[in-house]
Amino acid sequence: MAWVEAAVGVTRVERPHEKRGGALLLSALALPGVVPTDANAQSAPDKGIFEAQYLSYRDWQPGRNRMKVDAPAFYALMPIGDTWVVEGGMVYDSMSGASPLYFNVLSGASVGDYRTAGDIKVTKYVGNQAVSVGAFVSSEQDFLSRGASLNVQYFSEDRNRTWLLGVAGTNDRINATNGVAPNSTRNSVEFVVGITQALSPSDIVQSNLTYYTGHGYYSDPYKPLDTRPSDRQTWAWLTRYNHYFADADATLKLGYRLLLDSFGSTSNAVDVAWAQGLPWYGIAVTPALRFYTQTAANFYKNPPFPSGYVDGDNYSADTRLASFGAITAGVTVAAPLWDGWNVSLRADYYRQDPDWQIFGTGSPGIQIFAARWFQVNLTKNF
Amino acid sequence: MRILIALACLALASCASMDPPKPWEKGNLARPDMQFDYDRLDTRTQQHIYTSKEAATGGYGVGGGGCGCN
Repeated sequence: MAWVEAAVGVTRVERPHEKRGGALLLSALALPGVVPTDANAQSAPDKGIFEAQYLSYRDWQPGRNRMKVDAPAFYALMPIGDTWVVEGGMVYDSMSGASPLYFNVLSGASVGDYRTAGDIKVTKYVGNQAVSVGAFVSSEQDFLSRGASLNVQYFSEDRNRTWLLGVAGTNDRINATNGVAPNSTRNSVEFVVGITQALSPSDIVQSNLTYYTGHGYYSDPYKPLDTRPSDRQTWAWLTRYNHYFADADATLKLGYRLLLDSFGSTSNAVDVAWAQGLPWYGIAVTPALRFYTQTAANFYKNPPFPSGYVDGDNYSADTRLASFGAITAGVTVAAPLWDGWNVSLRADYYRQDPDWQIFGTGSPGIQIFAARWFQVNLTKNF
Repeated sequence: MRILIALACLALASCASMDPPKPWEKGNLARPDMQFDYDRLDTRTQQHIYTSKEAATGGYGVGGGGCGCN
């Protein structure tokens, strides 16, 4: 999972609901010489964070339930001295249900699996730079992923711009329980270059370009005849923009990602969120919408199975590689509790539909797919 | 693609015309909701869900580990 923050001039401070009148207070404090250290990403944060999360996820197709996932997760950040920060997290996914063999035909047996993943990152702040070294591991019954990352952030003299350079390497090992392709491996390297720029006292923009290249086993061993290329490259361009409306005490958050995949698929994703502070008890409400569309991979073949299959050629009937559009509608409600604790509740509804493909036509013969997930987060700042 | 390039150029031109904040003007930028990945656990979770259900994955930086879900 990719997550690198390249904030400009700011870092984690209390949420709006944690400290009422926060903007005014911070503005008052943001005078030269009295800027709170935790409002400046160019120095290490001076507060620790502990966060616990519980996710309940399920998805379905018309008339049939598919997968169900329950996932507790934890995250912690701990400053050490003035210039070091250690952070890490872990998640445990418990999955059950049925997954498609091909197109919308589900496997007869119920699938049960679990995933345990963890990561740790150490960051050292030196002058106008921050250097982070990280390691991560993700383990399933039939899958093991390990890797390491190096990220360097460079801050401009006026602290309004941050450059990001990063690289990560990952080694995956696949041992499918059905014995297909035993002891398979996949190795990949990712590079990111990014810039975050404060445009005005109320506007900030971030743009990242990520290149991924990998070699190894990319097929799905549980899908009959599934044969994918052994090399994969992707380019992803992500741009995000936030604007704060002081009069409304609200923030508009926009995001766009273009992703080009050597498998032949091109995807576009647009995110819109509105973070609204409410005048009661520090509560904040954030409704969000996401629209996503992708074209099909070159080797995805339309139904019926196994139409289009040629022995020796790449082939997939995995509908995740089909042409479709998807919409997510969600809302998060956050509120302060006591003694530095905060709670947030999140609910999302997701729906894939071939008719929602706006660049060309959607893949024929596949069903609508839907999911919903609920999430509760408890956060303690200390 | 040309449209995207044009939009990118337009966005950059807009940026150039804006006035970056002075040190004492960064109060609003310090708000959590003005940051891009304030809740990192939440960001990871959302990206993991989409990675497992769509062809596209990545773009949010590097260094997080894979999964057998796609």
